[in-house]
Amino acid sequence: MSLRVLVVEDDREIRALIQSSLSVEGFVVQTAVTLREAQALIEHALPDVIVLDLGLPDGDGVELVQQVRRQHTTPILVVSARHQESQKIALLDAGADDYLTKPFSVAELLARIRVALRHRGTALAAAVTVHELEDLRVDLGLHQVQRSGETLHLTPTEFKLLARLVRSAGRVVTHRQLLADVWGPEFTDHTHYLRLYMGQLRAKIERDPAEPRHLLTETGVGYRLAVE
Amino acid sequence: MLLATATVLGFLVDHHVSLTSQAMVYVLAVVIASYMLSWIESVACAVGAVTAFNFFFVPPRWTFEVENQEHLIALFTMLLVALVISHLAAGLRRETETARLNEHRARQLQGLATALSGANSARDILDLGQAALDSAFNGPSVLALCRAGGELDLTAELASHLGDGMRCCMREAAVLGPGTGRWPGLNAWYLPLAESGNALGAACVQPADAADHAGREHAQALCALLAQALWRQRLSTSIQVAQNEAQRQQVQSTFLAAISHDFRTPLAAVVGAASALQTQRDKLSQTEQDRLLGSIVSEASYLSTVTENTLQLVRLANASQELKPDWESMEEIVGAVLARVRQRDPTRRIRSSVPEGLPLIKADPVLIAQLLGNLLDNALKYSSEAIDLVVSVADHTLRVSVKDRGPGIPVEQQGAIFEPYSRNDQSGQRGAGLGLAVCRAIAAAHGGTLTVRRRNAGGSNFTLALPIEAQQPIREAP
Repeated sequence: MSLRVLVVEDDREIRALIQSSLSVEGFVVQTAVTLREAQALIEHALPDVIVLDLGLPDGDGVELVQQVRRQHTTPILVVSARHQESQKIALLDAGADDYLTKPFSVAELLARIRVALRHRGTALAAAVTVHELEDLRVDLGLHQVQRSGETLHLTPTEFKLLARLVRSAGRVVTHRQLLADVWGPEFTDHTHYLRLYMGQLRAKIERDPAEPRHLLTETGVGYRLAVE
Repeated sequence: MLLATATVLGFLVDHHVSLTSQAMVYVLAVVIASYMLSWIESVACAVGAVTAFNFFFVPPRWTFEVENQEHLIALFTMLLVALVISHLAAGLRRETETARLNEHRARQLQGLATALSGANSARDILDLGQAALDSAFNGPSVLALCRAGGELDLTAELASHLGDGMRCCMREAAVLGPGTGRWPGLNAWYLPLAESGNALGAACVQPADAADHAGREHAQALCALLAQALWRQRLSTSIQVAQNEAQRQQVQSTFLAAISHDFRTPLAAVVGAASALQTQRDKLSQTEQDRLLGSIVSEASYLSTVTENTLQLVRLANASQELKPDWESMEEIVGAVLARVRQRDPTRRIRSSVPEGLPLIKADPVLIAQLLGNLLDNALKYSSEAIDLVVSVADHTLRVSVKDRGPGIPVEQQGAIFEPYSRNDQSGQRGAGLGLAVCRAIAAAHGGTLTVRRRNAGGSNFTLALPIEAQQPIREAP
């Protein structure tokens, strides 16, 4: 059975483009122009992935994300223009899985959907415990981090931070989510912790910390652990 | 008290002097009393003095009878003297008082005028005016300004009849209240604040006395000063607004002219390539089709950059758009920018050098990333050799330099390239017109600078300098 994607987008051209390029890849594509229409479609039959555009005529989508998240783990991808940072972050914090900035290429969209589907259900089922990419290997079960086969020594906070990113590997994790999960909900404004600890982690994990391969920065939004 | 002293003194000299001298002692007492005390008190004192003199000294002593005519005349004269002196003294006192009050008021007017010349807003003027009225009159005084619609901006707790009076005086553009001939029955003066026929506000001054001309004139003088200050303030505001508007329109027209050029060229390329594919696809070889498709993608992504720069410049020019700086790591920003720019740098011409342990900076990371992205894009476009991206720290300043080996920018053009839409066009390349203007605006918004200089062996060196906060966040380890 092929996977069903719901595309919520008010621009006809972009909607048609996403629809045709996803159909070619074998997805069954449903489209909605407004949030209301999307809500109705979701209630009728839950899609496997939701691609949600920001700035729809009838709202900013936070409500839709919250509504879906109350019952389902369906991956939600937010599509936004570059200047919609704060709205985008609000949706990610509300439970959206990842985002794409317009203009994006079809390749980027497909990559994001792939990552999102891979994580589907991980919030309930046993989470990813081993992450491997090129020279880096992280085993959460063994509490072990290796670079080129050599074991690295991380402080407990550094390990917690890395582990949080491994659990969402490939997806963006917002500053707020990282701070709340690693340090605690009362530290969500202390972004400088993140800057300092990410700097330390990169110094240990990356070959060239100034041009990271693994710990990617999503400027102004959060961090992402590379998966490909 | 004075009378008793006079009587005692009279007895002391009883046997040595005549009745006249004793009378003079009483007269002295009456004069002193008249000078010091009020009119009624001094008359009472005079009557008392005459009675005491009569009783104690005028024969027959110890009676109120008067023996001969001469003494009777002396008594009346004394009463008259007391009254005259009392009257004169009272007048003198009144004049002294008035002179002192006038001097005080003149000084207050002068002080207010000085203070008003330094006031910058209608609010300041209102506060100064209220303070002046409160110190000049027992009050309570009320001062209110006109809102934009011509309505008075009155506080809710103000008694309604005061508000009505103030509105009425403003409408009639005349002082109302006792002594003005308009609504003399009121117990307060209502004064309009008006200048050149424009109603600016109104004041209410209490208590008001019809006879107190000087007081009313003072209130009017204060209000005239306030009205002048308000008018001056309003004029300077409208001049400012007009200047801003003129400047904005000037900027806007330059902006549109330049933008349309920056947008049209890539749009023409996209439409050309796309229509060629649409109509001639069968005749084109696979290689040519790929080249056209590649051109569409690269021109469109260039359009996207131009759009982003244009929007950012408009946003930065809009002062209400406040920066939201956070603690950021330059290493991270450089990493994110390189990840993006490398797509256009397949041969890895950009060499980065970022030292370890950089201090954090307070910045908006999206803007700084845009700035560095623009500089690197330009360097890739204008040169074909290696490009160095160097981060360094010195003197509480973080510097990021982008050095290329391109044609370089002549010294005389180094100022102009940061102006929106004046492009250094000699290279035949298009389109960095907006980019550097945005870069400089971003640097300025962060309290930093963006400068360019020629490199000795040829090429340009663009350097962004950002201040490092003296107070770095503490490296806690919770």
